[in-house]
Amino acid sequence: MMGIVFNLLEAAVCRTYGEARWYQLLDKAGLDGAYTSIGNYPDAEAFRIVGVAAEVLQLPPGEVLRWFGRESMGMVAERYSLFFTDHSSVRTFLPTINRVHNDEVRKLYPGALLPQFSFEDAPADTLRMVYHSSRSLCDLAQGFIEGTALVFKEQITVEHPYCKLRGDHQCRFDIRFRELMPANSPLVQD
Amino acid sequence: MPPDASDSTIAQLALLARRVEREHKARLAAEVLAEQGLRELYQAQQELRLLVSIADTANHASSITETLRFAVTSICNHTGWEVGHVYLNHQLPAPSPLRSARIWNDNLAPAFAELRDFIEQRRLVANDGWPGRVLAARQPLWIRDLAAERDADCWELRAAGQLRATFAFPVIIGEEVVALLEFSCTRVQDEDASLLSLLSKVGVQLGRAVERKISQDKLLYDATHDALTGLPNRQHFRQLLTQALLQAQQRNTQCAVLFIDLDHFKLVNDSMGHHAGDQLIIHVAQRVRSTLQRLEPIRHPDQYAQTLCGGAVVARLGGDEFTVLLENVTTESVPLQAAEQILELLKQPFLINGQEVYSGASIGIALSAPGYYSGDEILRDADLAMYQAKSRGKSRGKVFDRGMRDQAAKRLTIESDLRRALPRQEFLLNYQPIVALDNGEIIGFEALIRWRRAGVIVPPADFIPIADELGLIIPIGHWVLEEACRTLRDWQQHFPRQQPLTISVNVSPRQFRQPNFVSQVRQALHNAGIEPGALTLEITESATMGNPERAIATLLQLRDLGVKLSIDDFGTGYSSLSYLHRFPLHALKIDRSFIARIDGSFQSFQVVHSIMSLANNLGIAVVAEGIETIEQVGHLRALLCQFGQGYHFSRPLPQADVLQLLTRPVLCLTR
Repeated sequence: MMGIVFNLLEAAVCRTYGEARWYQLLDKAGLDGAYTSIGNYPDAEAFRIVGVAAEVLQLPPGEVLRWFGRESMGMVAERYSLFFTDHSSVRTFLPTINRVHNDEVRKLYPGALLPQFSFEDAPADTLRMVYHSSRSLCDLAQGFIEGTALVFKEQITVEHPYCKLRGDHQCRFDIRFRELMPANSPLVQD
Repeated sequence: MPPDASDSTIAQLALLARRVEREHKARLAAEVLAEQGLRELYQAQQELRLLVSIADTANHASSITETLRFAVTSICNHTGWEVGHVYLNHQLPAPSPLRSARIWNDNLAPAFAELRDFIEQRRLVANDGWPGRVLAARQPLWIRDLAAERDADCWELRAAGQLRATFAFPVIIGEEVVALLEFSCTRVQDEDASLLSLLSKVGVQLGRAVERKISQDKLLYDATHDALTGLPNRQHFRQLLTQALLQAQQRNTQCAVLFIDLDHFKLVNDSMGHHAGDQLIIHVAQRVRSTLQRLEPIRHPDQYAQTLCGGAVVARLGGDEFTVLLENVTTESVPLQAAEQILELLKQPFLINGQEVYSGASIGIALSAPGYYSGDEILRDADLAMYQAKSRGKSRGKVFDRGMRDQAAKRLTIESDLRRALPRQEFLLNYQPIVALDNGEIIGFEALIRWRRAGVIVPPADFIPIADELGLIIPIGHWVLEEACRTLRDWQQHFPRQQPLTISVNVSPRQFRQPNFVSQVRQALHNAGIEPGALTLEITESATMGNPERAIATLLQLRDLGVKLSIDDFGTGYSSLSYLHRFPLHALKIDRSFIARIDGSFQSFQVVHSIMSLANNLGIAVVAEGIETIEQVGHLRALLCQFGQGYHFSRPLPQADVLQLLTRPVLCLTR
């Protein structure tokens, strides 16, 4: 797992629950937490932190991942604004993710295992996106999608009608768009 | 810590301390990653530099060995390995076992001399030692320690040279290994997968470079060689000649050029088809080569060994023209002797499509001498000499002399005048009466062409062969046919007879072989409005040579048209008696040479007598040509020869004089 993911998780936890809670999670997970953004770390460490967080917050691990995705996308947009400036909607941004992964992420993480997304025909108000990854972190992906909507101040609903974790043949998201949120509306918080 | 410090402050300090420690660790980890990244970047740049430099050298190098030498040195520098060596297919593009290219990067010499000698003598075959395994598998191979390999290639020797680790990779084009690069070092070294991967890429680059060089060489070869025979072409020969001339001048020696032209190539080509013509050219090329291979070998710097024949270069200039360049010629007798041998060999029959074909050749010889500034001048003079040889009766050689240049200039003028003669209406016909030998009556005339060139009459022998060579004989022959028929019509109108006057017209072989010749004759008869039976076409035996079946078909069509046919100059040519009975002939014309000797030579008398018998048996009339004396008339009458013509009766006359003659159409036959 890319070091940046650990950094984002740390930032999200610290911002919402305070730094002490992060150390609590690390201690419970038995990790020292010295993650650098350009490093690559075992997936198991991330899963351990998420597992401990689920225990502490008494939430299913999937919910924790979804929260993390939603929470961290604003930080991603701040840190890598270059990839967002040409877009004003989830609808145009999401289809560029594969390219961003291939062209940009691999520059820093040549061996990284990155998810790929494909898009299928859907009704006009819907973006149908299929998630491909051996890690099956579809809840995190859903959180990222929802977080992206927050960045663009869009109101969307994300349905997850098929999921490999539930035994389906694919992980699919149907993203429905509604009218724009008022510009000064507060961000939705979990 | 102050005594009122709260627990929260302590907790915050603990948090800060932990953050500092954690961030310090993260920084160290980041630095390690960054260093690793930089090292990898440097390594990638070095690899790229190696690849680019080899590709760049391959693009600009003048030879394959130059590229390989650079590659071996570069790889040794890149890896730090002490020894690099190349095996190469030296026969490219033909497949051939790999041998040492004697390209070494050897930082151990002379400790390594024994192994080096062994390798340089070696002919590498599949599975022979470990380079042989690379050859067989067409894959790179790495051996971490030669000393530990039981079947490693001559490991004792390598061990003696202290070599331990080794690797090799092939250079492949298509399916074939064209080169093999091997490297060794004095350390034991584990396999480096990324290095092998890089070297595979180098192998691909080198393969492309070799392939490109082969293509370039082939293009160059094709551009400088004749596709049919593989001999150097005109352009290449000119280069070699220029080079030879320069060397001859520097070394104060001589070189000679033989210009060879086949004597009967056109006949073979026209009568047996282009494929047969091509076959003849290939056979001739082989014979000329083999003749020259027997000559004293002289080294020549030409890179194409296959074009050399023991120091002489044979080239095909095009068509049926070949040239030979002889260097270090000491006397005129050397090229003359070569020419004689070539002529002798070319006189022998060639077997083409199961048929024996005779060609023969004429050879012109020119030797380099002071005053020659270019190869083209020698070539031109050899060509002139060849032309002289040909005009003096073919199948002979002739050495150039300066007088030939004047003759050539003269001929050039004749050629250009001849091209304009027809439109300028410079041709005219004379007519020689043909007489019935039993009563002296003029039965008809033979039309004979003359050329009035700048007011002077040129005899046919001086321009007909040239017109034939230039292809002008066809329009000229056509004009003669039309003109003779028109004239005959006028005479028939002025002098009507029971047995109308006839006209004989000579037809050249080339004219006769035209596909539309019969329709030309029909048209001429129609235009003039004369009966076909009043026209006799005189053809020579050579017109029927080559393709007798086609000749017979044409003759039959002419007979069906009603035209009469006679064989001219009978007895001088091939006298293809086997065909004679199949030709629908009306008459044979006995050549003047026999008539001239009929008085004094019993042999000539017998020849005429035999021809008469032959003609009688075949039901063919005989016309004797060149009758000059009353005695000849007597002999011919005694032999029952039906017709005759010659100065005894009348020289060929202008048209106006014929009208005069026809007022008394019976000539004197006795004293």
